Amino acid sequence: MAKNLFSVPIFFIVFRETLEAAIIVSVLLGLSKQIAEADPGIVPVGPQSDTNDSRDDASKVESDVAATTASSEDGPVQRQRLIRKLRWLILGGAGVGLLAAITIGAIFIALWFTKAKDLWAVSEEAWEGSFELVACLMIFVMGVTMLKMDRAKVKWRLKLLKDFEGKTTGGAAKASKWTLFTLPLITVLREGLEAVIFVGGVSLGQPATSIPIAAIVGLICGFACGFLIYAFASRTTLSVFLIVMTNFLLLIGAGLFSKAVGAFQENAYNHLLGMDVDDAGGDGPGSYLVQGNVWHLDCCNPDSKLDGMGWSIFGAIFGWTNNATVGSILAYVFYWLAVIVVLVFMKFKEGRTKILGRQSAAGTRRAARRENVVDHKEEVPVDNNGGDLLPR
Amino acid sequence: MYFWLLSLAFLAALIASAFAGIHEEWWNITYVENANPDGLLERRVIGINGTWPPPPVEVNTTDSLVVHVTNSLDQPTTLHHHGMFFNSTSWMDGAQGVSECGIPPGQQFDYVVPINSSGQWGTYWVHAHASGQYVDGLRAPVVIHPPKEVHTYDEEFTVVLGDWYHDEHAVLLKQFISIANPGGAEPVPDSGLIYFVQNGSYLGPVAGSSPSSVTSAVGFNENATLPFQPGKTYRLRIVNTSAFSAFFFWIDGHDMRIIEVDGTDVEESPIDLISITVAQRYSVLVTARNDTSSNWVIHANMDVDMFDTVPDALNPNITSSITYDSSASLADSTTVDEYHDVDDLSLVPIIKIPQPPATRTIELEVIFDTMDDGTNHAMFNQITYNSPLVPAIFSELSLGPNATNENAYGPLSFVLNHMDVFDIVVKNGDAGKHPFHLHGHKPMIVGRSTDYTSSDPALNPPIAENQPNPIRRDTIQIPSMHSATLRVVADNPGVWFFHCHIEWHLEVGLAIQLIEAPLEAQQHISQVPPVMFDHCKTLNKPFAGNAAGFASTDNLKGLPLGPFPQKLGWHPKGIGAMAGTVLSAVLGMAAVIWYALGGHISEDEIEHEVRTKLDAKAAKGQNSRRFWLFGPRKNIE
Repeated sequence: MAKNLFSVPIFFIVFRETLEAAIIVSVLLGLSKQIAEADPGIVPVGPQSDTNDSRDDASKVESDVAATTASSEDGPVQRQRLIRKLRWLILGGAGVGLLAAITIGAIFIALWFTKAKDLWAVSEEAWEGSFELVACLMIFVMGVTMLKMDRAKVKWRLKLLKDFEGKTTGGAAKASKWTLFTLPLITVLREGLEAVIFVGGVSLGQPATSIPIAAIVGLICGFACGFLIYAFASRTTLSVFLIVMTNFLLLIGAGLFSKAVGAFQENAYNHLLGMDVDDAGGDGPGSYLVQGNVWHLDCCNPDSKLDGMGWSIFGAIFGWTNNATVGSILAYVFYWLAVIVVLVFMKFKEGRTKILGRQSAAGTRRAARRENVVDHKEEVPVDNNGGDLLPR
Repeated sequence: MYFWLLSLAFLAALIASAFAGIHEEWWNITYVENANPDGLLERRVIGINGTWPPPPVEVNTTDSLVVHVTNSLDQPTTLHHHGMFFNSTSWMDGAQGVSECGIPPGQQFDYVVPINSSGQWGTYWVHAHASGQYVDGLRAPVVIHPPKEVHTYDEEFTVVLGDWYHDEHAVLLKQFISIANPGGAEPVPDSGLIYFVQNGSYLGPVAGSSPSSVTSAVGFNENATLPFQPGKTYRLRIVNTSAFSAFFFWIDGHDMRIIEVDGTDVEESPIDLISITVAQRYSVLVTARNDTSSNWVIHANMDVDMFDTVPDALNPNITSSITYDSSASLADSTTVDEYHDVDDLSLVPIIKIPQPPATRTIELEVIFDTMDDGTNHAMFNQITYNSPLVPAIFSELSLGPNATNENAYGPLSFVLNHMDVFDIVVKNGDAGKHPFHLHGHKPMIVGRSTDYTSSDPALNPPIAENQPNPIRRDTIQIPSMHSATLRVVADNPGVWFFHCHIEWHLEVGLAIQLIEAPLEAQQHISQVPPVMFDHCKTLNKPFAGNAAGFASTDNLKGLPLGPFPQKLGWHPKGIGAMAGTVLSAVLGMAAVIWYALGGHISEDEIEHEVRTKLDAKAAKGQNSRRFWLFGPRKNIE
């Protein structure tokens, strides 16, 4: 039951993408403050050149903003109003993007399940295994990259700022108001579509009914966490939060990999038994291959509707199976080994750790720069300067 | 064999000394190539003297039957005269691994069946009891005629039924006992055969048919017919020689009255449909019609309920005919509304033997399951039977006083004292029906339950004692979840096999061995033909000592055992693996934490590095790809 109505992997995927989008939007919201306060030059001064009375709310707002800024001096009240309006602009863009993403996503998923799914209608274990394999690889990449998200804020701020600068240095006022609207729109759309594609990939092996609730809950949680991070969190709490989420994701991924191998073996066994095997499976003697089996319990089947939903949740999160084989055990272990190897390599590559006393190029560069900083403290201010631009 | 019969046998033996005769058969057991009895496929079969089917045997009770066997196969063989008592000479019983080692290729053996002293007559059969050779064709009916039959009839025929496979037994057995067949689906026959015997020879094919050359002397199925004459009464002796399939037998336009069950004459009892499982025999009286205007179909439908699948190519309903007038046409074939079993408990033996009180009960529960080697096996009481290294009869004869120790014979062996009266209660916990056969005896069926797990006396009645005349037969059908109680008198020293007669089930261990009156059996040791030990030697098998060949009761080293039922759950292997997975997950998660914490990069450093990267990118080209989904963004200016 649980498996049919709530897909844990989909929850996490939607959650992660929402979170990323939320972070980007929060960065933008922070930027809006900066735009209004610290760098007024970004907002065009002078009479509005916007002649085509826009068909679009956002541009109207923008025109108002521009008009307001133009007509009056920078009083704190005006600035506050400007900031609010900019924020509405950003949120509007994000909202439109979200709507578009949800619409496109819903259409995509609907098509996927009504049309494309028929291609996989054969409920063979081999398909299930392939889907689980795809899903676990996606989760691997997602989980590992998620850990870098605490640094994403800075990255996104710079990227967006650069985009923004790129537009404004061009001088056109139209561009800036569009940018404030389109940037969140495209960002949210991008993350949304990414989520849709991931959801599509992961959901291959799962019933369509398991998607909506998981996706909606993921969305809500992502928003909530994004807001919390925006409102309160420091980078450290964000790190802790990301560690927990990543571990959950990787637990799911390892379980899926193990399940994928198990499914391939099950498929081979079914083929050995021949065509007239009923796909019901079941537990107990005869339902599994003795050779290579590590444990088999005549109960607690995560795929069984009769054994209670506890086991299916256990299965979804930890990859529990009542029928473990040498293959599925090794798959689980090797997934984690791969995680360890990749993380060690990444940390080394990022220059954040040494391996056998050696440091990567990035590490060497950073170390050199640090020395430089120490030597010329007066020239380069340490830390927090960048952070000033971020909302606290 | 009971007191009454014993005395009768004794009497018969006295008379026999006056008329003593020996009925001799000379059987050279050979492969016969290209036999095609069902007209569907030519295959190699096992026959006698280069022909197939093996010749039917007809003997008078005044004669002793001696079959001189030469084994011209490339594997050991045996002959088992099904249902015969052998009077304390159970080494003549022909069960490989129990009563002999088998006749090695190229060797000879004389099976002596003391019919003249066993007090038995009626319908029996003979078949190989080694390596499933009877499935490949080594099977033939045996009819024993008493000086005077109880029932009166004008003529008699033997109707031989059998399932037929297009692959050799060894090939099928390999598929059957395989990890690819964990459910234990038995090989399904490719066809069924019906053919007839009269006066010791098979009836030939009907005129105008074109039988396959190898078996052209015998008519099968549609090519066979029973010639009936109006008004006459015929006795049909029906024998099911199948490896697997039971049959439902009836004749259009004719009534049947049962008069014999497995060699036991019974009072006439009308029946519309004979259900006959593997190795059972029935005799029915059929009175011919008065009109010869048409001929009639004889039906033998396989019990397809027993089959895992019914292949499209299989015609499970085989037919033959009764011919009154070869120019008349065949009457329209009929069907039956519902199959039913013969209620054998209701049949009344002509020779009354009251039920003796039992002093011992052997309970056997039938279970099939996938074993710890992944193959499906049968079990009595959770144990699957394996043939001992030393045939149990030779253990019994060679162990001296130790012969009464049950452990010496390996699992599923039961030692019985001489003249003990014991019950074998067979509870069929399997989903299929099973025909159980006891060698060397004709047990009384003193009770049946339709659900042995039930506490409802209507379904699971207690055994009624002091029944005046319960039915006696040597092969008992027990449906799923039913049980049957067989009462046996241990009056036949030797070792007797008790097993499911479905050959596939025997091969996966649905058997026990009864070690009957060991000390009494040892008194007959001098009668064992020494050539039997030579056969064992030739086959490199021990022929003395316990089941494993040691002069000991408890050292059974080397005795084949198992496979065993699976033990599910947590074993050291599983616990270790689980610990390994937990450890790897913990280490992995620790790596995540390690990665995220430590080696801190300040916001400033990140900013610097990102800037450097962005600048590098910008320097690379104007059209930097910012949004991978949408490609290079157009310049709006």
